[in-house]
Amino acid sequence: MESSVQPSAHQQTEALVEHFFRHEFGKVIAHLTRTFGTSNIEIIEDAVQDALYKAMQVWPYKEVPDNPSGWIIRVAKNKVIDVLRHNSNQQKVTVDTVALEADTDNHEVTLDSELKDDQLRLFFACCQPDLTVESQIILTLKLLCGFSRTEISRALLKNEDAIAKAFTRARSKMKESAVALEVPQGPGLQSRLEVVLKVLYLLFNEGYKAAQGEDLIREDLCEEAMRLCELLTDHPHCSLPEVHALMALMCFQSSRFATRLAADGALLTLDQQDRTAWNQELIQLGNVHMARSISGVRITEYHIQARIAYHYSNAISYEKTNWEQILQLYDLMLRSTPSPVARLNRLVVYSKVHGATAALQAFHELKSDKKLSNYHLTHAIEGELLKDSGNTAAAGKAFDQAIALAQNATEKAFLVKKREALTNS
Amino acid sequence: MYIFRGGDAREVNQSPEQMQAHMQKWGVWMGALGESGNFIAGEPLQAAGHVVSTGGVVTDGPFAEGAEIVGGYLIVEATDAANATELSMGCPIFEYGGTVEVREVQQMNM
Repeated sequence: MESSVQPSAHQQTEALVEHFFRHEFGKVIAHLTRTFGTSNIEIIEDAVQDALYKAMQVWPYKEVPDNPSGWIIRVAKNKVIDVLRHNSNQQKVTVDTVALEADTDNHEVTLDSELKDDQLRLFFACCQPDLTVESQIILTLKLLCGFSRTEISRALLKNEDAIAKAFTRARSKMKESAVALEVPQGPGLQSRLEVVLKVLYLLFNEGYKAAQGEDLIREDLCEEAMRLCELLTDHPHCSLPEVHALMALMCFQSSRFATRLAADGALLTLDQQDRTAWNQELIQLGNVHMARSISGVRITEYHIQARIAYHYSNAISYEKTNWEQILQLYDLMLRSTPSPVARLNRLVVYSKVHGATAALQAFHELKSDKKLSNYHLTHAIEGELLKDSGNTAAAGKAFDQAIALAQNATEKAFLVKKREALTNS
Repeated sequence: MYIFRGGDAREVNQSPEQMQAHMQKWGVWMGALGESGNFIAGEPLQAAGHVVSTGGVVTDGPFAEGAEIVGGYLIVEATDAANATELSMGCPIFEYGGTVEVREVQQMNM
């Protein structure tokens, strides 16, 4: 029986790390874009897709090669060369594919660090400042994170056709402007880094916020944001304090991922979450990045948010949270970004320090802000403050308004529960 | 012998994530056939090829419809045709609408 000769292929395909194909897609696209240029991006995308397809077909019959990543790069690269050669024959344009091929052979072993740099170059190219934030996010998810259109639309809760159109448009722009594939250095770095960090921040938030019909793909957004941020923290030029601040923030937030929702899908607030289930490894990693974010003189929004998250994550209990420190951080935040929502969130902390009655007074000044009156959280927080100051009837009315304004089912259910608890007490 | 037709995952535009999941299902299925001693041999086939007809006429081909393209074959040892058919039920090809043709190899003994 030949079966004894047959390598146990299933163990090998099974043994591939989670998201291997997805991440490989981004890696190989990044690597080949550097070799063949962004002008060939569509050919490269097809070639990588083909290489993965071939792997999918052949590996279960045979075995996973010793260097699966190198295998995919080689297959995809040969495919690109084939297509370019074919095109040049048809158009009578000479492409020096022989030279390219020679180059391929010399770089049989592609270093992991080289692949990381390639991804970073492509990431900066996806985050061209002249693109809209949405296009930057879509390009990043499609090219670097290996998300399909369907997956992007599921993750961002957007229409698939709109995603497809936005991607095609952004990719054309990338091709036309012949975007330089480089990691910015020197004086240009900071402004480019700001764009890149913003994309990571939004990507993470999009995945983190509880949404209607919880979908695992949304958690993947957070994972991807952290993976890409790690490329920055590992890079000698990009490893700036604000990068570590953002990484720390994401570590702290994601440490609570598993505890944000109850078994029935209901939203759990910090005081209701099972602290013992918080991911300590991520909190420790957050602390490490936090320490590395302190050097330098600039205090960014990420610094402040990371520090707030740090206090929440490292408190022994909800009651023992360092509210004074958090309040100071909110005050600091409001000085640079006085957004109504930040002011609203500050009130919750304010009430922990100065009591609900004092917070209610401050709240009435805020309430006149038109932007906030149609926001469900405004009324939810008012309800909470009224409840804490003993005015149950008024609290009920506030919760009713909050429930009426809440858009998302998870949040609505959460508020209904709060409302019910009020009448039961 | 199992002849795999269609179920071309490329036509349904799979994402890399889905490809990996699909591949792992094939790996599990084939691995199980190996472990149970049913597996004899098998190869995946490229979609493109040539068709040679009478008179030495060679054409590119087979150019069949996606659903008819043979993507690979597997030879398994089973107690009988019914057993072979049953073993094929777990094949991941059905996930993408492909088919498994189960054929018995003709033996010399009479």
